[in-house]
Amino acid sequence: MKKWFALAAVIAVAAVVPLLLNPTGYWIRVLTFTLLFAAMAQAWNLIGGLANQTSLGHAAFFGIGAYTSTILLLKFGISPWLGMFAAGALGGLAALVIAIPTLRLQGHYFALATLAFGEVMRVIANVWTPLTGGPGGLSVPFTPPSFAAYSFKQLLPHAYIALAALIIVTAIFEFIRRGAMGYRLRAIRENQAAAEVIGIDTTKVKLQTAVISGALMAMLGTLYAQVAVFFDPDTVFSAAAISIRVALIAILGGVGTAAGPILGALFIIPVEELMNDLFSAGAAGLSQLIFGAILIAVILWRPRGFITLWDSLRARFARGEARR
Amino acid sequence: MSFIQAIIDGLLVGGVYAVISIGLTLVYGVMGIVNFAQAEFLMIGMFVSWFAWAYLGLDPVLAAPLSFAVAFAIGWVVQGQLISRVLKAPSVAQIFLTVGLLIVLENGALLTFGSQFRSVVTSYQTMSLSLGALFVSVPYLIAFAMSLACGVALWWFMRTSWFGRAMRATAQNPMAAQLMGIDTALMYKMAFALGVGLTAFGGAVILPYVAVFPGVGGQFVVLMFTVVVLGGLGSVAGAVVGGLAVGVIQALSSLVFPIQLQNLVLFIVFILVLAVRPQGLVGARR
Repeated sequence: MKKWFALAAVIAVAAVVPLLLNPTGYWIRVLTFTLLFAAMAQAWNLIGGLANQTSLGHAAFFGIGAYTSTILLLKFGISPWLGMFAAGALGGLAALVIAIPTLRLQGHYFALATLAFGEVMRVIANVWTPLTGGPGGLSVPFTPPSFAAYSFKQLLPHAYIALAALIIVTAIFEFIRRGAMGYRLRAIRENQAAAEVIGIDTTKVKLQTAVISGALMAMLGTLYAQVAVFFDPDTVFSAAAISIRVALIAILGGVGTAAGPILGALFIIPVEELMNDLFSAGAAGLSQLIFGAILIAVILWRPRGFITLWDSLRARFARGEARR
Repeated sequence: MSFIQAIIDGLLVGGVYAVISIGLTLVYGVMGIVNFAQAEFLMIGMFVSWFAWAYLGLDPVLAAPLSFAVAFAIGWVVQGQLISRVLKAPSVAQIFLTVGLLIVLENGALLTFGSQFRSVVTSYQTMSLSLGALFVSVPYLIAFAMSLACGVALWWFMRTSWFGRAMRATAQNPMAAQLMGIDTALMYKMAFALGVGLTAFGGAVILPYVAVFPGVGGQFVVLMFTVVVLGGLGSVAGAVVGGLAVGVIQALSSLVFPIQLQNLVLFIVFILVLAVRPQGLVGARR
């Protein structure tokens, strides 16, 4: 019960924060992207955390999502709300196509295969100019502001949509983690051979996870397109800015936990923005350099993420109580 | 005729790919770690060679041993201070440690050297030998010859020297190697330093026909992985075959497809090989 109250309190606070920020200001934008990236990292967390398959190619699904809804809107005037579901379907399909040959692979091989898949999608989007506009990118066409058209004058609605997306993706994550599928995934993670022996269809379970993860990532791609209004293949299919970044956020916070991606995004996105603000004019590459250094430090110092800080704090607190 | 020409070009370029990728496969073979930052050492090798050319007046190809030495030293420290700590960690930690290293090295270079492209001017840059209707580009030939020499030297080192044999023993069974009195931590440092050194060497020899800039590693990263996956991760002989194969595939695909699609062909080969024969086309599973 106490847990639910705490959860409700966190959501309530999160719901109030956007109202406190200047609606046309800079920080509302940072907040929106923080929530969006938290949701993306949570989608990655399904395959990367629960199934323990390190994907370095989630930009593939993200980009598919951004392009699908925007092309549907441009060519057929279909509302991005509907486009988002088309994006999810295509993203899930793409995840299936890449997962069938590669999910047998483990560890490094899977990471390599997914990295290459993301790059394949980037090259295709750059070359298939009639559909994607090529390297020049796509602009989301302006439509009169309305909720049905997913078009707003200000960022505030976008912030709430991103918050809702984060809550939904996190709920899906928790639902899977606690359900039968979560137990199967955990069994596979601990010992794949043993899981197979007790009758788990390991390939099927991993495949399902990959498809859900890819579909969610694609739907978030649509949300990104609506916020960003303009994007090009090298942005949405970027290995560094999307694939590696979402994985990094989840790992930083605590991979395989529901709170991990949220903690990671709350740290990484504002810090990145701050560093870009401080240094971008002076020295190109400095903010990325620090970003890489943080990554190395966290891997060496807290390989299971910030969440373990909380655990060790709580353990210390509990010990203190017991003594009293 | 252009078909044979493409195969000649492909083999020459592929020889360099082989040396660049041997470094990657060596690190994996000995330690079981895929170094995602490997291509950044190619960039380091190119920069060392460029500075040796610009300030010391050294021919970039002759500066290759210097590139090797600098990368070897950096690799020694990186292995001792960073990689050694994740040798027993889950693969996700290993992957992201080297990804972090990649980001640091690339952006460190960007910060230090700026984003402009730097190339060298040599007397043989545009020369080519003609064999009837066929041409053999001199810089390609020199790079190939240097790579061949480097590969043979490595082979000799691994076969005959005590260090080479100790390193191979460590790769086969670290526990047994340790019981035989081999300092495995030292072997790991040696393997990593040697691996990144070879890649840097390859970077120096291609400088006459590839300009250097901080992001140059990114152009080679998938190529290197395709080479080692084709040959089987961890197999040095496989990397040689894989390197030549990738060179030829690239050259032939450029006959058929526009230049932007050249990498796409490689990516697809890469994914297909991973899916169908993850142990590589040559050699058995390790």
